[in-house]
Amino acid sequence: MANLKEVRTRMVSVKSTQQITKAMKMVSAAKLRRAQDKIIKMRSYAQKLHEMMSGLSQNIDGSPVATYFESKNSNKVLFVLVSSDRGLCGAFNSSLIKSMNYFITKEIGDNKGAFDILNIGKKGHDGMSKFKYNVADSNDGFFNNLNWADGERICQNVLNQFNEGKYAKVYLVYNEFKNAATYFNRISQLLPIAAREEAEESDSNANYIFEPSQGEILEDLVPRSLKTTFYSALLDSNASEHGARMTAMDNATENAQELLRSLSIEYNKARQAAITNEILEIVGGAEALENG
Amino acid sequence: MQIEILTPEETLFAGEVTSLKLPGAKGEFQVLNNHAPIISTLTKGTVVCTTKEGEKRFEITSGVAEVMNNKVIVLV
Repeated sequence: MANLKEVRTRMVSVKSTQQITKAMKMVSAAKLRRAQDKIIKMRSYAQKLHEMMSGLSQNIDGSPVATYFESKNSNKVLFVLVSSDRGLCGAFNSSLIKSMNYFITKEIGDNKGAFDILNIGKKGHDGMSKFKYNVADSNDGFFNNLNWADGERICQNVLNQFNEGKYAKVYLVYNEFKNAATYFNRISQLLPIAAREEAEESDSNANYIFEPSQGEILEDLVPRSLKTTFYSALLDSNASEHGARMTAMDNATENAQELLRSLSIEYNKARQAAITNEILEIVGGAEALENG
Repeated sequence: MQIEILTPEETLFAGEVTSLKLPGAKGEFQVLNNHAPIISTLTKGTVVCTTKEGEKRFEITSGVAEVMNNKVIVLV
């Protein structure tokens, strides 16, 4: 039978662990709410931008924006891996890396020279050393202060590298946010932009004045919309991370509760055994006196 | 007219204005009520919204503006 004091110390330590996981869950819930708020604000921006673009002529032949739509003559592919900076969020990072590896073996084969990885988030960076992939760049600690300016800077670098012909394709690897408990591993092609399906004929653009010209406006809007897509992926990943951590911490709190329950049963049993023992000793002692 | 100034992170301004000055790519221009529909790119400069309560200024580095049926959307 377990020692009474031993069980009591274990119960205390489990209880304090439970308090930590409970607090972490609460913090994640608050951060999740803020992250969702960011997504909503971003969504209205993205939607307005999309509306504006759909009003413009889709004819891009010969214009400088055509470069974003052409696959480059390069044998390299870039993966932008959006992971998290911190752990304790369940399979958030490992499942993402696993699905990226699956994608790589299926689409590229096992030639590690054929692709580069751009890391956003520390955990992805840590994971890469295991596979010995080519890491083009890493942004550890990015999510500590998630903001548009930093996201834009990274995206601009990617766009420049693509336009210089360094990469044939650029993929975004991230977790898409659905709700607090659900996210999906996503691998989506950022560049070149997939040819747009025939835009529904809108004649509303007929009476717009364009300044300076439709072509030049597109030159501004196309990279802007790419950056919007890029930043949306970062926001989605951020919200998914907090959701995943909240779920993981909720599970941990529940498990601690379960453990506490079995420990307290064990404790009570041990206590009861000790009492029974004592009574037996007293009764035995009394009987010995009577008989003697 | 109704205007909305949006960044990817927040709504800088939303509401009714009497006049709006924008730093267009081809020079600064002013938008008043019943302005013709226009889409213009913006450069570094100041957006000035004149409301009934007074003036509001926003520094921007780039952006795009759309004016349509007395609704202005500025994305920066």
